Amino acid sequence: MSHSKTPHVVDARYMEPPEPFVQTMEMLDILKPGEKMLLLLFREPHPLYKVLTQNGYAYETELLADGTFEILIWR
Amino acid sequence: MLSFENAPPFAAPLRFFLTAPLFSLAAGLLLMAAGPDLLASRWTPGLLAATHLITVGFMLQIMLGALIQILPVVAGVNLGNPLRVARWLHAGLSAGAILLASGFLWGAPALLSAAALTLALTVAAFLVVTGWALYGVPSTSPTIRGIKVALVGLAGAVGLGTLLALAIAHGWAIPLPLLTDLHVGWALGAWAGILLAAMAFVVVPMFQLTPGYPARPSWWFPRLMLGLMLAWALAVHLDAALAIRLIQASAALLGIAFLLLTLRLQMQRRRARADATYRYWQLGLASAIFALAMLLTAAVWPPLADLGGWSTFAGIMLLVGGFMSFIIGMLYKIVPFLAWLHLQNQAKPGRPVPNMNKILSEAAMRHQMRAHAAALVLLLAAAIRPDWLARPAGAALALASGWLFYNLLGAALRYRLHLQKVDREEAPAV
Repeated sequence: MSHSKTPHVVDARYMEPPEPFVQTMEMLDILKPGEKMLLLLFREPHPLYKVLTQNGYAYETELLADGTFEILIWR
Repeated sequence: MLSFENAPPFAAPLRFFLTAPLFSLAAGLLLMAAGPDLLASRWTPGLLAATHLITVGFMLQIMLGALIQILPVVAGVNLGNPLRVARWLHAGLSAGAILLASGFLWGAPALLSAAALTLALTVAAFLVVTGWALYGVPSTSPTIRGIKVALVGLAGAVGLGTLLALAIAHGWAIPLPLLTDLHVGWALGAWAGILLAAMAFVVVPMFQLTPGYPARPSWWFPRLMLGLMLAWALAVHLDAALAIRLIQASAALLGIAFLLLTLRLQMQRRRARADATYRYWQLGLASAIFALAMLLTAAVWPPLADLGGWSTFAGIMLLVGGFMSFIIGMLYKIVPFLAWLHLQNQAKPGRPVPNMNKILSEAAMRHQMRAHAAALVLLLAAAIRPDWLARPAGAALALASGWLFYNLLGAALRYRLHLQKVDREEAPAV
């Protein structure tokens, strides 16, 4: 799945925990330097935010009209 | 990598979840012992006692206990020392609920005053602790805004409740019926209703694999509901009877809109299997819509509320059918998930952790839910024919609550058993 912000997308909107977290970590592992990834969820993943910050990642979150949170993650 | 840093220990929320069913069990036993007289009107001492065993002893207990656990997950904030907060909060709420129910039951001014002070101080301390933690946290999601607004609702609900309890204890001349309705509005609309919505925005899509709640109404719902409750308070102050009815009708409509939206999302869910949580929410949605429709009808045409059993019927529908069902439905996801998460964090990498169904089986939850639904039907029937059904309905509520306690206790014990196994495996082999 691709997106205008980045081709690296994890659409976790219909996944049960902890699948969104696991898939995001897997995607981050294969990202090349300078690449960004996008996580789609119907909630704000605060525990993930904490892990991202601790591991030196930055993120930006946008809430869309349909209730999707788009979380853009990069290092 | 799954370790949720600083997640409160499992013992923090668990004590609330295990105590709460004992209070609804006590409400059932009370109805069983007191019989039909308890349901003679919404103002009998016994019914006031039973109602608060459920609202303070069951609902408030679980809602505040769950908040300690869920604030880090949905808002990214941690309370300073969650286990210590949990200890005194749990003690204060439990003592307050017992004092309040006893105060109503025996018409004892000293007990009522003690209950009012205990609950007011406990909740005020909780509001200070959570307010401190949430201070400066931006409302980046409707859930965070909802929690903040709901805490304002809690302050109003407990403030009004304290005033009412002290007024009854000391014979102060205040308009009791008007202020009681306002207290109920703040407690169930501004506090429990907004908190439920704030949680639903997260847990309904997450646990039931539905689409998300559309952003715009989610942002507005908490503020609109609180605004209506403030307007209601003003209308009581001005003694504007027509305005009060109009506001009650609007609040009921707003609640129904939220419930219908949730029902629509559930119909679009991507999980084919209907588990206990889903069924509990279906029961909760249907009951709450029915109860709010009754409130709406009575606001439009007040003589209906004077019909024998009308208020009691609507109250049972909303509390036992609505809120209790939503809460138990969520507990049945949260307790096994937390147990699994804490075991996962304790286990060595690569070591298997029992899956959630082993901690609390689907069959156990489903059977308990049938008992709860049967208790609801009997309680509703008892509101109409108390002379025949009050005692069996009380027994049914006690049974369903005892069963809930048994299920949750079983999950906690199995969790501890696995934890000990993990500890043994971790012990150095020297």
